[in-house]
Amino acid sequence: MADVDAGHSEVVSDEETSKEFMCPICLDLLYKPIVIACGHICCFWCLHHTMDSIRASKCPMCRQPYIYFANICPLLHNLLMKTNHVDYERRGKETLEIEKSNDCFSSQDIECLNSCCEGTDENKISISDVICSGCKEILFRPSVLNCGHVYCESCMVTLTNDKLKCHVCESIHPGNFPKVCLDLDYFLKKKFPQDYYHRKELFQSTKVRQDQYLNQSSCTSAVVGENSKIEEDLIQMQNLHPCVGCDTCGMIPIIGKRYKCKDCKESIGFDMCEVCYNSSSKRQGRFNQRHTPDHVLLLENSSLEEVPE
Amino acid sequence: MSGGIARGRLAEERKAWRKNHPHGFVAKPETLQDGSVNLMAWHCTIPGKQGTDWEGGNFPITLHFSEDYPSKPPKCKFPQGFFHPNVYPSGTVCLSILNEDSGWRPAITVKQILVGIQDLLDQPNPADPAQTEGYHMFIQEPVEYKKRVRQQSKQYPPLV
Repeated sequence: MADVDAGHSEVVSDEETSKEFMCPICLDLLYKPIVIACGHICCFWCLHHTMDSIRASKCPMCRQPYIYFANICPLLHNLLMKTNHVDYERRGKETLEIEKSNDCFSSQDIECLNSCCEGTDENKISISDVICSGCKEILFRPSVLNCGHVYCESCMVTLTNDKLKCHVCESIHPGNFPKVCLDLDYFLKKKFPQDYYHRKELFQSTKVRQDQYLNQSSCTSAVVGENSKIEEDLIQMQNLHPCVGCDTCGMIPIIGKRYKCKDCKESIGFDMCEVCYNSSSKRQGRFNQRHTPDHVLLLENSSLEEVPE
Repeated sequence: MSGGIARGRLAEERKAWRKNHPHGFVAKPETLQDGSVNLMAWHCTIPGKQGTDWEGGNFPITLHFSEDYPSKPPKCKFPQGFFHPNVYPSGTVCLSILNEDSGWRPAITVKQILVGIQDLLDQPNPADPAQTEGYHMFIQEPVEYKKRVRQQSKQYPPLV
């Protein structure tokens, strides 16, 4: 034991940062990573386990409250599959075993970016694995939307009209701008220093323009308004559907009207919040439910005192 | 559905601790009579910081993890009657990072807990007293308090 300690003596003060892309909850390699609005990353199931189903959850890293169980980030998923192929496969097998025994699954078909499965060692990572969904250049200060798609922080502002809408999947991002995902940012700086700094320089030269844009679009007012209503409901514990989440936007617990699918056979069920019900979203469930648009959703008013209209 | 993640996490904690841990600290999952290991309870030792009245003491503390760990923090217990303003008469440590409603985050590791408690030993928090004796002495009789702490440190000599 003593010699092991000696070998590591110089890194003792260097807190748990040695392991790249480690989940803060299971302390293992991230698997099916989800980026929370505050920019921190956790495994799909780890995050799900630590979420609160009757009030707002808190980030396992920074305790910032959130109520949306975001989608798995396909970019990170594909990146990890390449950089940590062996461990990622192991994590996949282990997770699937547990899912089978619980008869409840995480999403099994995550978007495959750039014909993923062919490259398997870290050297095969290229810029095309880490490009912004907006500007299509290497990500600079990446932020991840609730739908899991990744943009440069500076490209996010171009997504807004009155709502923050993803260009790839057209999902509305609930809430304010997500914060930069620092773990991914750190990886980019380290892995592609030249390209990253080139982007940085370009960015700084156009920064003034961006700032103006940001001020102009002090946007998302509609979303913010919606959000404060949600917060109010959360505090007063009104209109909540405890332990039920929206399978489209990930809101847990659902606040307001809840629509329940009567055709999905999976034991976990399939539910939607009012906003998602009224939008024409075509997403599958968070838990791999085989929900299709011809399924019938019924208003479930267990938690609502009265339904107007 | 909540097939706990506590044991998996604790197995990783144990690996990480074996690889590297702060000098003078001990942290070991409990071994049961039949020889099996119980990951849900860890017997640990926290050394008093050098240059403080706690120096020389090696304080035994047990960390009890629930099935809800790491959503919920472990309960950390010194021996019953342990002298410190922020330790309950039962021995349970009162510390913000160990409180689910204030400072606990699932990302906090066993190592951070133990180092946090080591810091607390010499830096009690008078705003949050947990026992009368330690608290009153700390506030009203600083000289007596120091003496008492040194005496307690001698009660827990190094194991080697």
